[in-house]
Amino acid sequence: MIIKKDRMGALLGTLAQHKTVFVPALIDGVSKFAPYREGLDVRFDLHNTKLPPKDLLFPQTQKMYRYGETAEGGHYVEQFDESSERVLFGVRPCDMRSINLLDDVFLTKGFVDEFYEAQRKKLLTVCITCAAPAETCFCESMGLSPNEAPDADILLKSCEDCYKVTAQTQKGEAALADWRDFLEDTQAQVLPGKTSLRLNFEGVPQKLSRMYEDPIWDEISTKCLNCGTCTFVCPTCYCFDISQENKMKEGVRFRCWDSCMFSEYTAMAGWHNPRPTKKERVRNRFMHKLCFFEERYGKTLCVGCGRCVECCPVALDITRLIDDIGASDA
Amino acid sequence: MSDIQEAMRSRAKELLESGEVNAVIGWEAGRFENQTTPLITSQAAKTQRLVFNEYCVNNLGKYPRDLTAKGKVAIFARGCESRAIIRLLSDEVIKRENVYIIGIGCPGMRDRTTGELLKKCAECRHGDPVIYDEMLGEPQAKPATQERFAEIQKIEALPRAEREAYFTNAFSKCIRCYACRNVCPCCTCRQCFVDQRREGWLGKQNNIAENRFYGLTRVMHVGDRCIECGECERVCPMDLPLMSLNRKVIYDINNLFGEYETALSLDEPPSALTTYKVDDVEEFM
Repeated sequence: MIIKKDRMGALLGTLAQHKTVFVPALIDGVSKFAPYREGLDVRFDLHNTKLPPKDLLFPQTQKMYRYGETAEGGHYVEQFDESSERVLFGVRPCDMRSINLLDDVFLTKGFVDEFYEAQRKKLLTVCITCAAPAETCFCESMGLSPNEAPDADILLKSCEDCYKVTAQTQKGEAALADWRDFLEDTQAQVLPGKTSLRLNFEGVPQKLSRMYEDPIWDEISTKCLNCGTCTFVCPTCYCFDISQENKMKEGVRFRCWDSCMFSEYTAMAGWHNPRPTKKERVRNRFMHKLCFFEERYGKTLCVGCGRCVECCPVALDITRLIDDIGASDA
Repeated sequence: MSDIQEAMRSRAKELLESGEVNAVIGWEAGRFENQTTPLITSQAAKTQRLVFNEYCVNNLGKYPRDLTAKGKVAIFARGCESRAIIRLLSDEVIKRENVYIIGIGCPGMRDRTTGELLKKCAECRHGDPVIYDEMLGEPQAKPATQERFAEIQKIEALPRAEREAYFTNAFSKCIRCYACRNVCPCCTCRQCFVDQRREGWLGKQNNIAENRFYGLTRVMHVGDRCIECGECERVCPMDLPLMSLNRKVIYDINNLFGEYETALSLDEPPSALTTYKVDDVEEFM
C-alpha cells in the first residue's frame, strides 16, 4: 500500500474531522507538532521539529486537580482529565523511540502515572522514516534505525513521491480504515536513510559507571551555562515538579517540566543542595542519559535526535562526550 | 585571521606556562563545519586547540565570573567580551587584577549554516575591544550596518493592539529555559528572582502571563546595564526578539536622560536606572 505525497493534505483534512491530528509544522519560525488545520505550514520535509512531541503526552504545564471549600463549609477535590483522541502524525523514528522510553518511565516499575496513561491510550502514532537524516542525527549509533520504528502504530516508509504504508499494531490496522480512499495498491522503491554522524557507543554506559569521580566532568561543565535548553528540547527528558497556586479558598495543583540543569532542581529545605555546582548537574544529565537509565531500564535514554547538539548555546556536544568516553580507557 | 589564531595560541601558552594566569578563555573548533565552542583550559598543551575565525559566535565575557575565584584568567576579547568584562567589573563581580584581557579586533561573526553575518554583529557598534591589556592584530573598525533603534521605531509605530500582539506572540513561544538569563553578562544576581521560589515572584507554569512577567522583569533589571551584545537573542532556542525589549529600555533612557551607552570605559557614571537625582524626570508623578 502506498499514499502519494500530494494526497497527504487531503488525508490530514479527513482525519482531522474526527480527531486532533498533530503534524510537524512551522509556526512563527519554530517547528513543532501542532494541531492540523487548513492553512497550517505543515512540514514533513523537516528532519526534526525543534520541539519534541513529548508535550502531547507530558505537557510542559499540566493541571492535575483543583480543590477548595464548598459553600457548606466542606471541601472538594476535582481531578483534571484533559486527554483526548489524538493522532501524532509524521513523527520520526527517534521521537517514536522516545515515546517508548517515556512509556517505561510513566507506566512500568510498579507505578502508573494516570495522566500520562489516559493520553497515551488515546494516541495513535504515525511515523515517517528518514530518507535524508541531518548532519546532527546519530540515531544509528544509539541502536536505532532511521528506516524503522517498531513501536509506531502506522509506519510510512519514505519513497520518492509517496510513502509505503504499513500498519504495525492492531490499533494501526483499525485506523487504516479511514485511509482507504487515499491508499493505492502499488509498489514503490523505499529510499533508505543513513546517518553520516557515527559514534562509538560500544561500552560507554559501562565505562561511565566507573567515571563518577572522573576529571572529565570538571572539564566539560566549565563552559555549560546551566540553562535548560538541552533538557527542554530533549524528547526523553521527563523530570517534572509539582506545585500549586492558591487563590482565596481554592487552588490548583499542577506539574511542570523541570530541568536538572537548574540549581533549584535539587535545592532542599535549609538551602542544602546536593548538586551545588555545574559539575554535578552536568554529570547528572549525561549520566542519566547514558548510564543510570540503562541500569534501571536496560535502554539508553538518548535517541540520537541531535536537538541538544543543534540548540546548545555553547555547543556542549553530547556526541563529543560519547566519543571521548568511548576512546578513554576508563 | 590565521595570524591572530597563531598569536592567540602562543600567547595563551606563554601565559599558562609562566604561571601568569590560571586559565585561558577562548574558542576551539566544534565537531561540525564552521562550528566553534568555548575553550576554557589551564593546560598549556591544549592552547594549540584555540581557533579564531568568522564563526566564533559565543561572547566569552561572562566566564570570568565563574573562573576568577580560582585565580587570574586570560580572556580573548573583542568589543562584546571587553564590554562584558567592564560590566562585571562595574558590578563588582570580578576584580581587575584577576583578568588579563587580550584584545582582538572583530570583523563580525557569521551563522554557521547560512554564512550570513549574525544579526547581533550587524547591529554591533563596538567590534573592537574598548579595554585591553595587550592587543593582537589591528582594530577592524567595523561599522554597524543596522541602525540602533530602527527596530524599536518600527514597533513603536504600530497600533497599540498590534504592538501587544507582537509581544504576546513572542512570549507564547518562550519555553523558560533561561538561556537568555544565563548567557547575559548583566545577569549576575547571586540569586535570581526567578529562583526565589519561597517568595514566589514567578510561578512555574508556562503560560503567556508568567512568561511575559519573566521577560519584562528581566529587561527592567538589565536594561540600563545592557551592553547590547545580543547573546540573549542568539541563544534563544525559540527566536524571541529579546533585543527589542532591551533596546526599548535603552531608547527610553536615551530620550529621558540623554544619549546613553553603557560599559564603554571603567570610569563611567553609575547606570541610569540605579541612580537617583532630585531633578530626574518624573512625568508620571
